[in-house]
Amino acid sequence: MTAVLRIEDLEVRFRDGDESRLLIDRVSLELQRGEILGLVGESGSGKSLLCRAVMGLLPSRKLAITRGRVELDGETISGLPEAAMLGIRGRRIGMIFQNPTSHLDPVMRIGDQIAEGLRRHRGLGRAAAQAEAVDLLRQVGFTDPPRQARMYAHEFSGGMRQRAMIAIALACDPEILIADEPTTALDVTIQAQILRLLADLRRTRGLSIILITHDLGVVAQVCDRIAVMRNGSVVEQGEKRALLAHPQHPYAQALIASHPSLPQEDAVGEPLRPHEAPLVEIDDLEVSFPAGGGLFGRKRSTKALAGVSLRVGRGETVGIVGESGSGKSTLARALLGLQPVTAGHIAFDGAVLTLERARTLARLRREAAMVFQDPFNALNSRMTIGETLAEVLRVQGKVPAERIPTRIGELLDMVGLERDFAARRPRSMSGGQCQRAGIARALAVDPTLIVADECVAALDVTIQAQIVALFRRLVQDHGLTLIFIAHDLAIVRRLCERVVVMQHGRIVEDGASAEIFARPAHPYTAALIAAIPSIDPDRPLGGGEAGAISETGLQQEGLTT
Amino acid sequence: MHRYRFVLLRPLQFLPVLFGISIITFVLVRLIPGDPARILLGARATPSALARIRAQYGLDEPIWTQYFYFLKNLSAGEMGRSTVFKIDVLPLIASRIEPTLALVLTSVLLSLLIAVPFAAISARRQGRAADQAIRIVSTVGIGLPPFWLGLVLILVFSVTLGWLPVSGYGETLPEKLSHLVLPGLTVALSLSAVLTRSLRAGMIAGLASDVATAARARGMPEGVVFWRHVVPNALVPTVNLLAVNIGWLIGGTVVVESVFALPGMGQLLVRGIFSRDYMVVQGVAMTFAVATVLVNFLADIITVALDPRVKL
Repeated sequence: MTAVLRIEDLEVRFRDGDESRLLIDRVSLELQRGEILGLVGESGSGKSLLCRAVMGLLPSRKLAITRGRVELDGETISGLPEAAMLGIRGRRIGMIFQNPTSHLDPVMRIGDQIAEGLRRHRGLGRAAAQAEAVDLLRQVGFTDPPRQARMYAHEFSGGMRQRAMIAIALACDPEILIADEPTTALDVTIQAQILRLLADLRRTRGLSIILITHDLGVVAQVCDRIAVMRNGSVVEQGEKRALLAHPQHPYAQALIASHPSLPQEDAVGEPLRPHEAPLVEIDDLEVSFPAGGGLFGRKRSTKALAGVSLRVGRGETVGIVGESGSGKSTLARALLGLQPVTAGHIAFDGAVLTLERARTLARLRREAAMVFQDPFNALNSRMTIGETLAEVLRVQGKVPAERIPTRIGELLDMVGLERDFAARRPRSMSGGQCQRAGIARALAVDPTLIVADECVAALDVTIQAQIVALFRRLVQDHGLTLIFIAHDLAIVRRLCERVVVMQHGRIVEDGASAEIFARPAHPYTAALIAAIPSIDPDRPLGGGEAGAISETGLQQEGLTT
Repeated sequence: MHRYRFVLLRPLQFLPVLFGISIITFVLVRLIPGDPARILLGARATPSALARIRAQYGLDEPIWTQYFYFLKNLSAGEMGRSTVFKIDVLPLIASRIEPTLALVLTSVLLSLLIAVPFAAISARRQGRAADQAIRIVSTVGIGLPPFWLGLVLILVFSVTLGWLPVSGYGETLPEKLSHLVLPGLTVALSLSAVLTRSLRAGMIAGLASDVATAARARGMPEGVVFWRHVVPNALVPTVNLLAVNIGWLIGGTVVVESVFALPGMGQLLVRGIFSRDYMVVQGVAMTFAVATVLVNFLADIITVALDPRVKL
């Protein structure tokens, strides 16, 4: 094998006046022809920046390559003039991104976005480029390419948008594809399909791929070699199996140890305890959203929840899983009285929300709290953490005014934040710290029930592991009831004693975690579990082809028109 | 299918809006102190002459009866009879629409011709000298009162340089156009200042957006990235800003038409107010209101054409 891309001793610095910071620290990497190289690391480790440097697309004028070089097929491309880079970007190195929604032009047809590169790099005429675009859409798995080429990005599902991005990147038949977190924003079954597509493309086109990801499971499944990045430098690289089995660098070891798909000896597995009267009772709940139909149009609606019944006992930890659009967040919002219900009953500790709304809401607000997905935006950026907590404590009135400062200190202790965080604002805190503060705010209510909606989805794996550990401790020490909503099944398995699986607004399976993960009864559950990329490279990725997944997958992937 | 239904049915929603406007203009006009009959006949008119005029124009009726007649006339496409011009208001307005419409169109066209290139230069050279200069000019432009700006333009281009006519409108098309340049520029300079700022902000956001990054990553040169991906996305909010400002602009023509002696609706409105010509004031105000509503309707349609995500 020959190296198609060679990065040698590359250094990228941020310089502004006298200030100079090292962002990429003397990285050397090689990408062999036809190889998939996994670039792993947490947010801020420099993996995306490294790829931007390769493309000559550093995001700011204050960033510059200050040392080393990049070679494409033996020719140095770093430092080439912009005009020469235009013939390399897209033509020889293609790129796809984490968030296809924001990277696709919303006001340009998908076909035109593919044709744009074809016309520029390959000099095709309008008609020839359109025909080629339709053919590319077919290759990446679109079902009706001539029609879909004329559609816009917002008319597609997330998975289809990522397929469209791939088609755009493949348009000019590049030798190298840089995929920057291509599946992070996707559901687990869709992720499996996209990863399979990338592996197929490598085989059929001899494509060399750099796959940037924070998920070691993804790397273990599709990559040949792995490079682990931290603080701008590659701390370890090597063949996949060797590296996963015997990581040398302590950080690589920590990263592998915190991967949630690893079976843990302390995984929650104890049988369901018998519970007294349930804390939450939901009967035949239906929630519909108006869809379309204007002032004069016929009113239509989509059912987000179609008859859901659920009982949650005191002290239980219940994980609700399902793909996006399955209704899990709607269920949580309805339960807390944040979402008007169409039909059915919700009762909290005997008080029926749908009958005595005001009284039940008053109790919910004093006894239940929510932790949100986006830790940064869920906190008021103008208030310090201390002020945020004090506000809740004052409103709740459970703690006398003179005790509030002490209580704030205790709350910060409980979530593992230093007490001086009381004086800090979210801006000066990391994502993990913000989420701890969000949990402290939920605890300030002194709740019996906490509803956490995708509250670790935006965090790095090592931080995820810490937050999960925090929840486990809180549940044990304070007898909390926890409803934990996640699309990541591996995390639910580590945290919750019971799992509820939702699909299309219904509960398809409900039972003890250990039981469901070992012997899923519903095909959809089985497909979800199979699609989790295992960190063990010899346990191949399921999902995306046979049986139940093709049915659910097609529905998920299907066009929304 | 859905789109056509919107175009056909949306105007029905205008009816309550126009009904509300008719009440407001009708009442406001009558709140202006002064008696139309006395202004018409002069200070030494006899009481019987005053009474005759009042009866002739229905001004002696109770106010709700007058309003009822006003509505009745409106629904029949009539706007009453002017007390000053002694002819029906509708043909009067019709004869004055052209200069005003031409002025508004010229202003919008000129302001776009100014705003788009200036915003583009500004956004692509963000923070540099050209950008600073354009930002200062557009901030000053927002602050300049049109009547003053109009007079300065007349002084420079008509009186000193003698390139363009001082005022009036003209008969033939070239004459009319030459008369429209200065008033159009007067309005356009303040309007383009607002548009430049909005477009610049949109373009700067667009240049830093993921869409632009993705286009660069597939080897598009900066010019293509800008004009094909950034500009179309930046235009969408600007269309709505323009629509909001056209309402303001139509009101602004009153001042500009006076400065440049353009025989348009703005001038008619001013004369109507001074002579307490209720019918003319009502008629012009209603026409302005209908125009504003129509412009916003048009902007909605343009927005849909520009942005496929917007559902009607």
